[in-house]
Amino acid sequence: MLKTFAEKQEIPYPLLSDIDSEVIRQFGILNTGVSRDDAMLYGIPFPGSYVVDESGGVVAKFFHDTYKRRDSPELLIDAALGAVQLSDDAPRETRSDAGIRVTAAIHGGKASIRQGIRRHVVVRFEMDPGLHIYGEPVPEGMIPTTISVSGPPGLIVENPILPPTTPLRLESLGLELPVWSGRVDLQVPFYPNGELASETRPLDADEVTLDVTVRYQACDDEACLLPKTETFSFTVPMDVIDIPSLGMHKGHGQREGKFNATPHMLRLFARKLRQHPMGLPRFVMTNLRLNREAKKRAAAERHPSDR
Amino acid sequence: MTIERDHHGFDAPAPLGHPGRAGLPDGAPTGPEVGTRLPEFTLPDAHGHAVDFHADRGNAKAVVVFYRSAVW
Repeated sequence: MLKTFAEKQEIPYPLLSDIDSEVIRQFGILNTGVSRDDAMLYGIPFPGSYVVDESGGVVAKFFHDTYKRRDSPELLIDAALGAVQLSDDAPRETRSDAGIRVTAAIHGGKASIRQGIRRHVVVRFEMDPGLHIYGEPVPEGMIPTTISVSGPPGLIVENPILPPTTPLRLESLGLELPVWSGRVDLQVPFYPNGELASETRPLDADEVTLDVTVRYQACDDEACLLPKTETFSFTVPMDVIDIPSLGMHKGHGQREGKFNATPHMLRLFARKLRQHPMGLPRFVMTNLRLNREAKKRAAAERHPSDR
Repeated sequence: MTIERDHHGFDAPAPLGHPGRAGLPDGAPTGPEVGTRLPEFTLPDAHGHAVDFHADRGNAKAVVVFYRSAVW
């Protein structure tokens, strides 16, 4: 099954099969929201990723509170290599000022977006020696570096990921300020949710516009340049992705792919049924009940006065 | 199949409360911690060959991604 899947989806890396969820249990990441009674689904993990170094130590891990939000492969590679690996063909714009270059770029995937997958706006500062910009907190009147990203409704923008600052001591003022100097990459993760790119309806648009505003002030040890505000605008295409072709996926915004999952789904059900003969009727009953409840909720929403 | 939007703003071809939509609860464990060694494990790959994670990656860095299903 994995062999056909890997071939059809052109997956070059090894796919391992955790039959009966042994390693999932060993890691302690069995999805406890799925009860043993839900025999058709029982055994799935909380999906997440681990990045290990040469010696096998975990250097980073990525888990989200919803299985629909995941990280781009590029973020995992960045974590493994310890720095942002901005691809040469990542869309980018650069603004130069005295001694300072600011580049904004879209990082991750093919710089296109899909439901729930985090891409990153990378803002790269390249400063001449002696210059620095400020992190937070700084005293009143000084300008910390800020990035704001905005897009259409349903584009979720998360908190920035900032590298550590170094302290700059100003003896004369008795101050210690958080600064970045040289080359520094600041990142803002973002992803579309179901309002913008739902898996249950066709895409409303082929692309979206992303506006990035960067505000900063560069200084050397003696004087500051004027505060600057740079704006960047990106047109970001929405991905149409192949999903396993399966009856329940009808109506998805994504395209039903080359991989026909139906025979595998039936085999999976048959195997689960052998292990838990009562699992299938329970599964069907649960689904019927939940669908009934959902219809009631939908009806209540349509006619709020009847409530 | 009823489609409902969850509190994260995601849609799915299953009603809210469906076990297939269960996410990571607050404070749920997420396995081996950063700084520890990833446990030893051996699993079959797509061709049925056993893969011993630590032995077979040699001295290379690696990423392990847990996903829910290749079927659905």
